[in-house]
Amino acid sequence: MATQTLEAAPRAATTVSLEHFDRRLRLFNRICAGVLIAFALLWLIPLLWAVDTALKPNAETTRTTWLIDDPTLDAFGRILRDTDILNWYGATFISSAVTAIGTVLTGSLAAYALSRMRFRHRNVVFWFVLAGIMIPGQVLIVPQFREFDSVHLLNTYWAVALPQIPTAIAVFIFKQFFDGLPRDLDEAARVDGAGAFRTYRTIIMPLTRPAVAAVFIFTFVSTWNNLLWPLLVLTTPDLMTVPVGLATVQGTFGIRYADTMASAVLGAIPLVAVFLLFQRHIVQGIAGTGLKG
Amino acid sequence: MASISRRNLLRGSVAAAGLAGLAACSSPLVSGLTASREVAGSLDFWNLFGGGDGVRMQQMLDAYQRAHPEVAFSAVTLAWGNPYYTKVSLATLGEKPPDVAVSHLTRMKNLVNAGLLQELRPDDLARHGLTSDKFNRRAWETGLVNGKIYALPMDTHPFVMFYNTEVCKKAGLLDADGNLKPLTSPEAFTAAMQQAKQATGAFGGVVAFTSETATPWRIFQSLYAQLGGEMLADEGRQVVIDDAKAGQVLTFLQSLTRGGAFPANADYQGSIAIFANGQAGFFFQGEWEISTFQTAKLPFSMAPFPNVFGGARYACQADSHTLVLPRQASEDPARLDRSLGFVRSLLDQSKTWTEGGHVPAWLPFQQSAEYRAMTPQSNYASAADAAVYDPDGWYSGSGSNFEIISGSVVGAVLAGQLSPAAAIDQLHTQLGNLATTASPI
Amino acid sequence: MSTQTAAAARAATEPRRTGAARPAAQQTRPAIGFLAPFIVLYLLFIIGPALYGLVMSFFDTSLVKPGLAGFAGFRNYAEALRSSDFWSSLWHTMWFTILTTPPLIILAFVFALLADRVRRGRWFFRLAFFAPFILPSAVVALIWMWMYTPLLGILHVSLDKIGITAPNWLGDPNWAMVSLAITTVWWTLGFNFVLYLAGLQEIPRDLYEAAAIDGAGPWQQIRTITIPMLGRTTTLVAVLQVIASLKVFDQMYIMTSGGPNFATRSILEYVYDESFTNYRVGYASAVSMLFFLVVLAVSFVWFSIVRRQEKEV
Repeated sequence: MATQTLEAAPRAATTVSLEHFDRRLRLFNRICAGVLIAFALLWLIPLLWAVDTALKPNAETTRTTWLIDDPTLDAFGRILRDTDILNWYGATFISSAVTAIGTVLTGSLAAYALSRMRFRHRNVVFWFVLAGIMIPGQVLIVPQFREFDSVHLLNTYWAVALPQIPTAIAVFIFKQFFDGLPRDLDEAARVDGAGAFRTYRTIIMPLTRPAVAAVFIFTFVSTWNNLLWPLLVLTTPDLMTVPVGLATVQGTFGIRYADTMASAVLGAIPLVAVFLLFQRHIVQGIAGTGLKG
Repeated sequence: MASISRRNLLRGSVAAAGLAGLAACSSPLVSGLTASREVAGSLDFWNLFGGGDGVRMQQMLDAYQRAHPEVAFSAVTLAWGNPYYTKVSLATLGEKPPDVAVSHLTRMKNLVNAGLLQELRPDDLARHGLTSDKFNRRAWETGLVNGKIYALPMDTHPFVMFYNTEVCKKAGLLDADGNLKPLTSPEAFTAAMQQAKQATGAFGGVVAFTSETATPWRIFQSLYAQLGGEMLADEGRQVVIDDAKAGQVLTFLQSLTRGGAFPANADYQGSIAIFANGQAGFFFQGEWEISTFQTAKLPFSMAPFPNVFGGARYACQADSHTLVLPRQASEDPARLDRSLGFVRSLLDQSKTWTEGGHVPAWLPFQQSAEYRAMTPQSNYASAADAAVYDPDGWYSGSGSNFEIISGSVVGAVLAGQLSPAAAIDQLHTQLGNLATTASPI
Repeated sequence: MSTQTAAAARAATEPRRTGAARPAAQQTRPAIGFLAPFIVLYLLFIIGPALYGLVMSFFDTSLVKPGLAGFAGFRNYAEALRSSDFWSSLWHTMWFTILTTPPLIILAFVFALLADRVRRGRWFFRLAFFAPFILPSAVVALIWMWMYTPLLGILHVSLDKIGITAPNWLGDPNWAMVSLAITTVWWTLGFNFVLYLAGLQEIPRDLYEAAAIDGAGPWQQIRTITIPMLGRTTTLVAVLQVIASLKVFDQMYIMTSGGPNFATRSILEYVYDESFTNYRVGYASAVSMLFFLVVLAVSFVWFSIVRRQEKEV
């Protein structure tokens, strides 16, 4: 095979062909880099264009060019002043944080029981929770709306957070993680006289940080970005989450394109910050899922 | 270690952001956690006015705020049509609707039947001078539901005819005073269009029907109602299209595009451009486009949509914008007075609103010399009394499925894609489906 | 999120690790305590509504009236299956899936391949491609609506400069869905990109070296090593993409409101219109159930593929 080919050819020829191959490879790599850079720049254009437009006065936006004659932050000022965007930040932050905390807590507790505890019908409960993954949330919007309507909880943060907390997938991610932890830890804790909850809190959870981080961040981001459900239940502008607020008041801007883009940029900033801070966790979370799948 | 300090940084910034967020929304925070109402002394107003109307409405709202600095006022503009009404419905179900909202007269009845609007009692209204004699008779009476008042009309916006005065002069269509000679028969109408076409060298008139459903519906309804035709009966449960009359109207409309008097395709913006460029002598649309042509400095005037078929019984399609009060979770007399006071303030500013082309429903202004002096707005004031509103039905009203279905069929006839006979069949089928569906309200 | 179904399959198919051999006592009581928070919320907000939705689909329930209203039997389902609006919204959803899935797989794969070859500056590419993914749909929609604006939008002007008349991106029924697809590809490609990049980095370098020594050029290496080894990842990406496309709503709602003339209305938007604009909650529940069956069918197909792939390994 490979070794035979090497031995068969004269030494000098082999060295030359390897070098030539090396150069071809380097050229190929350089072309790859060039193409990739071009596409990456292309991918950045929409965001850059949005920021560019937001920095112009409204009247200047009708001249479609990258150059800004009169750069100004006025559009941002108008958005911060005239819309409820600061309220939207608060609302979104609260509902996302509450949901993320709720998901981590309920998910890890349930997963601990399913992974580490013995009880009758454990399998039944396991498959019951598994069934939940099959149900896409969007199928439930109509009955959930009726449910919250009947208890007069529409237009509250509870309506946004509660349906998003019980996430079957979080249970599975935690269970997966717990299954990978050695049982001796539990044994040692039991010998020391610790009950299940103490074991959970002091031994298992501190070791679960990567999973907690991943679940927390993913839940936070997806709750933040959720549009359909909050759109239905949050109808008062000062209570809306950022996506709902932006989607609802976009009609107000008319042809004030700089203002529209400023609102988009302001809407994007919190998550871009989250991304920049937690890049590694996010990417690892996705990659981890994919590789094992 | 680097990771620890980074974690502290993250923790710190997250906490700071959280605090900032909480501080920014302390009052909505309370409102968001409980089902309680927010700020006392507040007034929320929702409307669907974009474009020129939006600018004028903003002027009126600014004037209100200047006059009432003690009111925590906020206005939201939502997209016209179904999205707007959906949000109003959802907000009312969510028990935190706006205090005052705009509603088309034709959609208001469905909101009432769905239990989403407050009844307006005459004594409350009288406190603010909002008595029935101060409103346009036709709009007021059409808005009553079982004799009860739920809406206060702001205007009527009929389907009208714009005409280029220079083109018409050249075509010999103006009388001695420079006004358009009335067109009172299909032949006269078609002849006028042909003469205008000669004068422009391109088209006689233009109406939007490509990628557009409201406009074709409106021109059809105006002509059809002049013949006395009806579309729906029994609150939308029956389709009562008079095939002969509908056929007559559709054939007439198709002859205009086929004969070259009208362009064979024109979308909303395109139809405006064609008229603004002087490529057509006549333009058929709602009156709200008046500002567009005034800004373009086009020599034009406006008249009621011609009485092509009507004879003694003139009719033209119209709707009215009304102000309604969505049902609130709890009664609050102070809130009610604030809302009605706001309504009165808008009506008092009818002059600003009329500049946008609408016929004011507020009689104290509509009957004044000031209004009569506004031309061309006052030219078509009579249209408000001859207004034909969309038929009752849970699926009907401005921007509704009824309009979308009817409008796209008429549009297809104008485009030559559908014969009048096939179009009528399609109307029977599609509207029939809606008519037999159980009403959800 | 899209990672849901992936982890589920993993959890279901991997064997549980056994610990100490000593049998432990039953912990039913404390277990209930641990499970309760999740199970209570799960029953209240997932299972409960699912059953309630199923029940409502057999009635003429209205949004603005309390209670279940008149019994309709299978009438709602019959109406949905007969309704051209239902089938066209289903078709629009499928068309959207067809337009977005191939680019999202192929482009992501190509970009990942290219990025894998480049030693430095990976953070830049990750930022460029992945940053859009964490943006809310509303932000993405606003930015692209501005870019698609007739006459003033950057796309119109740029194409105009090179002599091409841009179509009416969001106003032309023939182009609207394509425009939404382009926006979606820009928005979500980063997720697949990261998946593929991670997958690529898992492939042992010696395989490439061995092939290079055999005289295989880069293209051949990709064909014979990279693509087969990424088979699992591609299946995952494809299925996640299809399921996410079935659930599309945000872009249509914000950018075109399902128009022009309902040309871009997805099945979920149809549910939204029927239940919250037309108040027909019972009918919309029936449509939701039918939609649920479609999602189940796709998930089932994927399960079988994954099962088969795992057997092959």
